[in-house]
Amino acid sequence: MEYLNIFIKSAFIDNMVFTFFFGMCSYLAVSKTVKTAVGLGSAVIFVLVVTTPINYLLETLVLQEGALSWLGDEYATMDLSFLSFIMFIAVIASIVQLVEMLVEKFSPALYGALGIFLPLIAVNCAILGAALFMQQKQFANIGQATVYGLGSGFGWFIAIVLIAAIREKIKYSHIPGPMRGVGMAFLLTGLMGLAFLGFLGFEL
Amino acid sequence: MKALEEFMQKMKPKSDGKFPLAHAVWDGTYTFLFVPGHTNKNGVHIRDSVDLKRTMIIVVLALIPCLLFGIYNVGHQHFLALGDCVAGDCATDLFMDKVLFGLMKVLPLVVISYGVGLGIEFIFAAINRHPIQEGFLVSGMLIPLIVPVDIPWAMLAVAVAFAVVLGKEVFGGTGMNVLNVALVTRAFLFFAYPTKMSGDQVWTNTSLEEGQALVDGYSGATPLGKAVEGGVEAIPSIMESVIGFIPGSIGETSIIAIGLGALLLLFTGIASWRIILSTFIGGYLMGFVFNQVAGDNLFMQVPALHQLMLGGFAFGAIFMATDPVTGTQTNAGKWVYGILIGILAILIRVANPAYPEGVMLAILIGNVCAPLIDHVVISSNIKKRLKRVKTA
Repeated sequence: MEYLNIFIKSAFIDNMVFTFFFGMCSYLAVSKTVKTAVGLGSAVIFVLVVTTPINYLLETLVLQEGALSWLGDEYATMDLSFLSFIMFIAVIASIVQLVEMLVEKFSPALYGALGIFLPLIAVNCAILGAALFMQQKQFANIGQATVYGLGSGFGWFIAIVLIAAIREKIKYSHIPGPMRGVGMAFLLTGLMGLAFLGFLGFEL
Repeated sequence: MKALEEFMQKMKPKSDGKFPLAHAVWDGTYTFLFVPGHTNKNGVHIRDSVDLKRTMIIVVLALIPCLLFGIYNVGHQHFLALGDCVAGDCATDLFMDKVLFGLMKVLPLVVISYGVGLGIEFIFAAINRHPIQEGFLVSGMLIPLIVPVDIPWAMLAVAVAFAVVLGKEVFGGTGMNVLNVALVTRAFLFFAYPTKMSGDQVWTNTSLEEGQALVDGYSGATPLGKAVEGGVEAIPSIMESVIGFIPGSIGETSIIAIGLGALLLLFTGIASWRIILSTFIGGYLMGFVFNQVAGDNLFMQVPALHQLMLGGFAFGAIFMATDPVTGTQTNAGKWVYGILIGILAILIRVANPAYPEGVMLAILIGNVCAPLIDHVVISSNIKKRLKRVKTA
């Protein structure tokens, strides 16, 4: 129940796109067709599920105040949390590289499907955002952090696939010139956020 | 009628003249009053005389019972709140007073909604040099029916302008919008003016003419608002909500009035019976699930059938979810769409303490998901047929 709660909360209530407007650059750029949106969305889920628990371990074993006590008493008072930004982004970038190489080696088909999106994810702020929120929320164990990563990724996936379907539908609408393209996508995101406000305040 | 037509024909401004607005207004009015005699230049195409304007008017007609009942109910609740009549023995006395009071309160809302919305439509039609689009006929009637009676007129005007410009015109006008215009209006009001529109206050208007006000306003919780806070006994019985002399938004209270409209829509085939049926099925399922896991939560114990009668569920399912533009277009998609809306509506209403009423948001979420549902249905159909071709 605890895990389900975290999942629902991170996927729908604290949706990365509609609530925090994270990962907007790739969200706007890759949402023109449903197919590419599904590809990027799955890649984001994948990377989030892998990086969030690793960042969680990094946070609890290295960065947190007193996290280094396992090294000995003289390290027990150390607080390395000022390093968290650079450490998290380094972990994300290296994991993405590693994942890319592994996927290329073991599943060329998936690698071809994900294409350029996989390396692009390294700079997707939704990934770093999830790591920083994870730090803030102070989860009790690594399982919760993983579920949080999964939920955030799933929420991002839903958002990009939904807007991609809508953008495919309105492709032939007579939209006033200045609003075409990204302008419309911004407006749509806002209106979808309005609808998603319905999930705000859910308590399970 | 003949004289009117001749007069209109005489008034016709030149279409390429200096005043595009004048032509747009004339064209809009003329085609509204008379079926236009368009014929095709080449090829044989049969045109049905039931064009978009006629379709829209049928929906407006279907809304009339709700509007009339709403007008009466506003007056009824007013006199009930003042204590001028004893509850239950109120139907016969003061009939004209109630109707007059209701008219005074409801008519301005209708006028503002149509005035602002159609005004914007006219301006856009003039700028784009296309004929006036008729989509606002229905939205303009829906909007007054889903707002509280005592909403300040300026707020309503701002919300209508927001919904028409950003919810519809920028998408290319009628038939292109992604979200239901009336619901965007309602959601905008809900989130922009939360203190006025939180949805948990009763919307009974007690102020008389100026200087005579007894109390500034009478506000208690709506039945659903009370239920969220734990007072389930405040929920009207099934009988009460079917007849509809209960507080609530103007058009949503009476199941009978809504049912009359629904019959007309279903008879003419304008509303999809699949969406209506599946929305109720979804709502019933969710209510049923809540009944099973209720425990000591009184609100979850409300019978599933009763849940469907409460608040704006029936109104939303029949008049808003069936919007042919924002809903799903495929038949299989309609079932999924309706069930999704039904489930979400009851889920938000019962499990989300922030909103006493969930139908509006559920339909908006349904609208957002509709293109994806259609996409999945269509692409799976394509896959199925491809497989058939390959095996053959």
